Amino acid sequence: MQLKKALLLAFAVLLVAPKAKAQLAEFDTSHTVFYEAPTKTHMFVYSPSADLQVTPWEWLSVRGGWTADVVSGASVAVKAGQAYAARHPGTDIVSTASVRDFRNSPHGGITLRKDTVAFSADYAYSTENDYRSNAIGVSARTDTYEHTSQFEIAYAHNWDSVCDRVQSQTNLDTPVFYRALESSTGCFTSAPLRTTDSIGIDSFQGSWTQAWTPVLSTQLVYTAQILNGFQANPYRAVVIAEGTEAQEHEPENRARQAVAVRANYFFKPIKAALHLGVRGYWDTWDIKSGTGDAELEKYLGEPFRVSARARVYKQSGALFWSDDYTGGNAPLGPRGQYWTGDRELSPFWSWLLGVRATFAVNPDKRILGVMSGFRARLTFDINNYSYDEYTLGGTSIGNAHAYIGSLDVTALF
Amino acid sequence: MRTIIVPLSLLLLAASGCVTVKPQERAILADPTMEFNGDPHANAPIRHAIENREGSFGGEGVSGGGCGCN
Repeated sequence: MQLKKALLLAFAVLLVAPKAKAQLAEFDTSHTVFYEAPTKTHMFVYSPSADLQVTPWEWLSVRGGWTADVVSGASVAVKAGQAYAARHPGTDIVSTASVRDFRNSPHGGITLRKDTVAFSADYAYSTENDYRSNAIGVSARTDTYEHTSQFEIAYAHNWDSVCDRVQSQTNLDTPVFYRALESSTGCFTSAPLRTTDSIGIDSFQGSWTQAWTPVLSTQLVYTAQILNGFQANPYRAVVIAEGTEAQEHEPENRARQAVAVRANYFFKPIKAALHLGVRGYWDTWDIKSGTGDAELEKYLGEPFRVSARARVYKQSGALFWSDDYTGGNAPLGPRGQYWTGDRELSPFWSWLLGVRATFAVNPDKRILGVMSGFRARLTFDINNYSYDEYTLGGTSIGNAHAYIGSLDVTALF
Repeated sequence: MRTIIVPLSLLLLAASGCVTVKPQERAILADPTMEFNGDPHANAPIRHAIENREGSFGGEGVSGGGCGCN
């Protein structure tokens, strides 16, 4: 319904502006498929989206769209570590649960421009079986030094809600007794065993883009984020002591920062652009990471271009992360105040290899009498993960490859 | 790291005021292959999938709603 309203509004703006000096509409649809099947689990996600932006006047753009995730797979429901598994040989203590979800996210926004300055405001609503989100974002951008420098600042705030299980009143102050959420049935209703936890997210970004020569430009980006609220996976339990499994328990506060530097260089003789980037990240959970990526994009004739890219990523684990929490004082003593079974919080490194083919035309004459431009883009990436310490009951994770394929089509009117 | 990045950024920022690429020389800079944030609609779901498998984020914008983090 929200998508329909956004599209109607966009078309209305287009129709009531017959005397506009510049009139342009851009329709974009993308379809992305993600698949992975590491040890014991598997996940398939299909993400379609459709977006329409109209620019009835040079000073105004209005946009609206819809994004979805269709999720199917199996994830870890009870996580145990190597030491616990060694004390219980022959017992399969790690269990999985099937996952089915459908995320819908209508969104919209406007951009106002005057001379070298642009202001944008966006809103996104997102709902899935166990998670709801309201997000606003504002940004301001300006060009200086005869358009060779560009500065942008952006801020976003999320008001999010996570479905959770009601815990026993007698154990509210004792997370070691918390039970994991069994399923999303009853979430966001008055079901007696369901409740809602909140999470607030403040994000800030500042960037500086600079053209140094006719073929070289760079970008420096600083991003910061503060999260406050429930950040664990409510479905996942962790074996924390002999015979005791408890819902994941992570700190409520987290501050994250990242600095990224990128450079684009165009090789005129071969009509190819080289993209290089590095990023450093650190947060108050003591995760530090470094990312390096490179991409070479080359024209094969005017409408076609192809690119190959590579990315390497390495991170340290969260301060409270452990593959096995059963080293505390018996019988109820987990090792440490917090526990998680999240492999994304463990130390690991990954590599990504990808290819992309783009077909783009902007002819002088309109295509089919209506389109002023058309672009189609096909992308395929393979992502491989190597976990340093994460195991499922002592079994290392094998076949940790993720495959991502995407088709994106854009039409300009 | 901050002791290097901050002064270096300020130095480059000061130097950027001396740099001017004339309008007639910007054809390549305006090429789609030279855009830093080109095709945001196409990049967003790929970035979303990659970030959901990592403990970190940043450098790619702050918008977006929802978890979608299975």
